[in-house]
Amino acid sequence: MHKNNFVERSIMGALSFLKESIFADEYALRKGFLQSLDPRIKTVTFMLFIVQIILAKHTLILLCLYALCLLLTHISKINLGFFLKRTWIFIPLFSLFIAIPALFSIFTPGEALAAFNLIGLKFTITRQGLSGAALFVMRVITSVSFAVLLNITTRHFELLKVLRILKIPQIFVMTVGMCYRYVYLFVEIIENTYIAVKSRVGTKIHYKSGQRLAAWNMAFLWQRSHQLNEEVYKAMLSRGYRGEPASLDDFTVKTKDWLWASLAVIIFVLTAYFDYWLKA
Amino acid sequence: MDNPAFELKGVYFSYLGKFPALRGVDMHIEQGKKITVIGANGSGKSTLLHMLDGLIFPDKGVFKAFGREFKENDFNDEEFSGNFRKKVGLVFQNPDAQLFCPTVKEDILFGPLHLGVQKKEIEKRLEEVLGILEIKDLLDRSPHQLSVGEKRKVAIASSLMINPDVLILDEPTAGLDPLTTRRIIDLLIQANEAGKTIITSTHDLHIVEEISDIVYVFSQEKKIVKSGQPDVILEDTALLQANNLVHIHSHGHKGKTHIHPHLHIEHHPEH
Repeated sequence: MHKNNFVERSIMGALSFLKESIFADEYALRKGFLQSLDPRIKTVTFMLFIVQIILAKHTLILLCLYALCLLLTHISKINLGFFLKRTWIFIPLFSLFIAIPALFSIFTPGEALAAFNLIGLKFTITRQGLSGAALFVMRVITSVSFAVLLNITTRHFELLKVLRILKIPQIFVMTVGMCYRYVYLFVEIIENTYIAVKSRVGTKIHYKSGQRLAAWNMAFLWQRSHQLNEEVYKAMLSRGYRGEPASLDDFTVKTKDWLWASLAVIIFVLTAYFDYWLKA
Repeated sequence: MDNPAFELKGVYFSYLGKFPALRGVDMHIEQGKKITVIGANGSGKSTLLHMLDGLIFPDKGVFKAFGREFKENDFNDEEFSGNFRKKVGLVFQNPDAQLFCPTVKEDILFGPLHLGVQKKEIEKRLEEVLGILEIKDLLDRSPHQLSVGEKRKVAIASSLMINPDVLILDEPTAGLDPLTTRRIIDLLIQANEAGKTIITSTHDLHIVEEISDIVYVFSQEKKIVKSGQPDVILEDTALLQANNLVHIHSHGHKGKTHIHPHLHIEHHPEH
């Protein structure tokens, strides 16, 4: 690929990321523990864990919950390396930078642990600041890990159905479902357009031509989506749609799901108790 | 016996009021018949089928369905609209437009769920339709993971699930391999034998004879130039050529070179 052709590189990179992260159901289709659970029970129990993570006041409790998350990852046949990479990449961005100021005495006064001078200013890291920052980062890591684990072990259409059951308005869920369906179609259209361009002009496209092509592609895609929008609406009308979405609840809860739900409640109660006890 | 499914008299339709798509169409379609609409690209076939499915309405002329003339406003009546949708099913030309749900199962169930069919009846129909079209293993897949033939089968399944009296299909065999085409033809013939009216638009002249009692030929002027029994229409080479439905074709055959219109029907009786 030509080094100047950043437009094409960006588009193709974004497309392959979309395909890998959103549309690949690779892990959700494996026969692991979490994949075998009813999506509703799984979602509710994971929400319970996330609530506990938010309420927990001790890093030890968070470490225990994080260990549970990693154990679930392992028994759900998910590569631990892949999982850690997926969850740790964004954590420094979103939490570490927010937590850094809290380390210092300016924001969190207390017992001094270390001090250093930078551009003539004295910075002191406090014990309270360090423990507060560690608690915050642990909280983010653990909750993000649970959310990612739920996401990669559940097929997206099942998650959408769970939203419906959780009383999220049907029209919202249906719209998200249709977006999911058609984003892939548009991704394919863009990819095919670039392949078609390459087949005619070769791999070296001047960046200005690349920019023109990208702009043209956007216009074409807008037009295509507008046409499709009308056709899809007709297809919905044709099969009886009158503005009130309807759906069939075809989930089945097995004994295994109830056992898991009970275990999750026990873990919730125990961690809440130990969190309180540690504080006392 | 006069038992019309659709009657059109002098029907005109244009897109945005300035791009004509139908110019004075007259049709009389009896219930229980197999009807085929043939014509070149852009001759108005899809527009006609959308009108028969009550999705668009004439600018001018009379359009009757099941003996009753109706207008766009009639579809504001929930009962009327529901009854009509239960009676008429349309398989769209573009399966990507028809399959708009995240999974095949949701797409197939969309029609009966929105038309208030009972859960038990839905399950019964689902078993039947999956068996007929052999698509049971596709149920949990997303439409974007399907091949063109599979998408077409799922689109047909989603209309069959409504169990309509009239099944309208817009180019159901376009771009399909011969085996899938054969299965779809067999399915249409079976549906017709079960009493359903089948209305198909197509370019595939080789399937016309099997799926038609009456053939309507559309011209580039967006009107019907001829209608009649399939053998009569297919033998009218001049008509087919004039309407871009056949082309002159040269090929080798048993050591000889033949030049004749490409008809997809028997053309070497001497062999």
